[in-house]
Amino acid sequence: MASTIENTDVKQKDPDRAVVVAVTSREVFEDGAEGDILALRDDMARKLLMLMHEMNERLQQESAKELLQFDVVLITTDSQQQQQSSSIISSTKHHGLEISRFCFANEEDFVESLQTNNVQLFLTSDKSEASQATQKGVLSALLDHQEASPPSDQLRIMFCEDAIIQPDTGPTPANREAIQGFAAQLGEIRRRFSLADSPLCFILVTAHGSKDSCASSLLTLRSSGISVDEAYCLAGAPRDPIMPLLQPHFTIRISFSDLEE
Amino acid sequence: MSEIKPIESAPTEDSAEETDWAAAKAFFDSLKTEKPRPPKPRYAVTIAVSSRTLFNMVEERKIYEEEGLEKYVAHQVEHESEPLKPGAAFPFVKALMTVNTRLRALYPDSEELFDIVLMTNNHAQVGVRLINSINHYDLTIERFCMTGGKSPIGYLKAYMTNLYLSKDSEKVTEAIEEGIAAATMFMPDTETQLSDTQLRVAFDGDAVLFSDESEIIVKKHGLDTFFQHEKQFENKPLAQGPLKCFLEALGKLQRKFYAKNERMNCPIRTFLVTARSAASSGARVLKTLRSWGLEIDEALFLAGAPKGPLLQKIRPHIFFDDQMFHIEGAKELGTISAHVPYGIGQKYNRGKLIEQPEKKE
Repeated sequence: MASTIENTDVKQKDPDRAVVVAVTSREVFEDGAEGDILALRDDMARKLLMLMHEMNERLQQESAKELLQFDVVLITTDSQQQQQSSSIISSTKHHGLEISRFCFANEEDFVESLQTNNVQLFLTSDKSEASQATQKGVLSALLDHQEASPPSDQLRIMFCEDAIIQPDTGPTPANREAIQGFAAQLGEIRRRFSLADSPLCFILVTAHGSKDSCASSLLTLRSSGISVDEAYCLAGAPRDPIMPLLQPHFTIRISFSDLEE
Repeated sequence: MSEIKPIESAPTEDSAEETDWAAAKAFFDSLKTEKPRPPKPRYAVTIAVSSRTLFNMVEERKIYEEEGLEKYVAHQVEHESEPLKPGAAFPFVKALMTVNTRLRALYPDSEELFDIVLMTNNHAQVGVRLINSINHYDLTIERFCMTGGKSPIGYLKAYMTNLYLSKDSEKVTEAIEEGIAAATMFMPDTETQLSDTQLRVAFDGDAVLFSDESEIIVKKHGLDTFFQHEKQFENKPLAQGPLKCFLEALGKLQRKFYAKNERMNCPIRTFLVTARSAASSGARVLKTLRSWGLEIDEALFLAGAPKGPLLQKIRPHIFFDDQMFHIEGAKELGTISAHVPYGIGQKYNRGKLIEQPEKKE
């Protein structure tokens, strides 16, 4: 049975206005014995949380009653992690991580927990977890711990369009409906910051399509509320030299082309 | 300087590159239009153009400078269905497309073509107007980088760029320092009728195709010493300059036409327009080109005469020179000019040493 517990050290966010992001405990912590303070897996999750927290603070600076915030949920996705609940809670407080809620679920029910917690974006490096969540309508993005370290002064979110979908590369790409809710609020957060020197940046990459398919995705994202900042149309050019320059924190795979049209 | 790319028969590709390539090929093949798909970057001659060289954005630039970024982007978005007017690099790009059409006819399966990439640090929302404009003029530009303010230099390298054209001399200087052929483009003061069947490219010699070693001698020791020096070292090839590899890339494509008996009808013609004189210092230049295995179609030795009137006759789609003095002269008489900020010529203006301000950190 999954349970959700609030982090009393962190201010709770308004469920209607917050952008709810879930990240798995394995992305954040190393394994450890129950009762121990768990070590952080690497700097990635901590930096990500810090960026979101800093943006929350800046939004609140404009208006103290600001409800538009990032709301981060830490979720366990297997029974082993589920058993470590008190370690996870104490380790989170120990490291000062800005996590509002903990959701202790296992392999069977984590997707349901994502849904009941109104998670709009699920972050994990586990392809199968991401696929399961996407299948049930929860937008997922893959984290890559090996990627060249992205900047710590700007959260860079990449939307990537591929023509080919290989079965083992993770969740199926999101269509326009799937990103709708998330995009509208995330776009609103972006609009509170200026065009230059923003702490949040949206990147669009079209790997295989033509410039017109890239332009079309630009417009679709725009109408969903996301004004892309940087756009790259590779049209088949190899992506390995370009990707390290883009430095995304995570990538949301999209597919807006409707072949029936 | 930017290395020439491998020949087509070399079996080098890794599987990730192949996968991306195959997917794009499949995509373009499935399109209902007759649109030619972009060539494989590894074999193509990649020309990166900025938005302000491809299109005339003078009015829009004013809005940016006077009213700021947000107003500028809003203006562009508001007018995004209105195509922009052609810029300085526009005729050059059209000429590249003409060459591609001829190459595709003779070599339908070859990837050795010009690949034109839009490289801009404009915000992606401005990009919609740029794409609409590209479509309005039917330009074959499929690849672009809209970096939203970041420097394009890393992307130039990633795209294996053979030539970068921009209005921003700082970016151009940075590119040259990184070994990429680059030039700052200038719109001519009057419009000239240019060939629509042949790409015509004119190069200055010293500090463009060749290093600035000889120019240093002129500036420091005068013309007489220069003539003596060049005669003495007639048989020693000059070191290469920033645009040498681009000339080499053009030569490679020219040879593809020669191989099919099209020498008399070749759609690429190259010109050397140098202030050197044929008698006293010209031999070294021709011998250097020969030692590099490069051909230039026409070599014009001016012996110090102004370049403007001659260029008016040549009507190149682009003329490269390292000295602003020559650029201005060419521009006044209707030649599309591109300044190569390289070598000792940058420290002088009309023969006098410029007082250099402290370099910005």
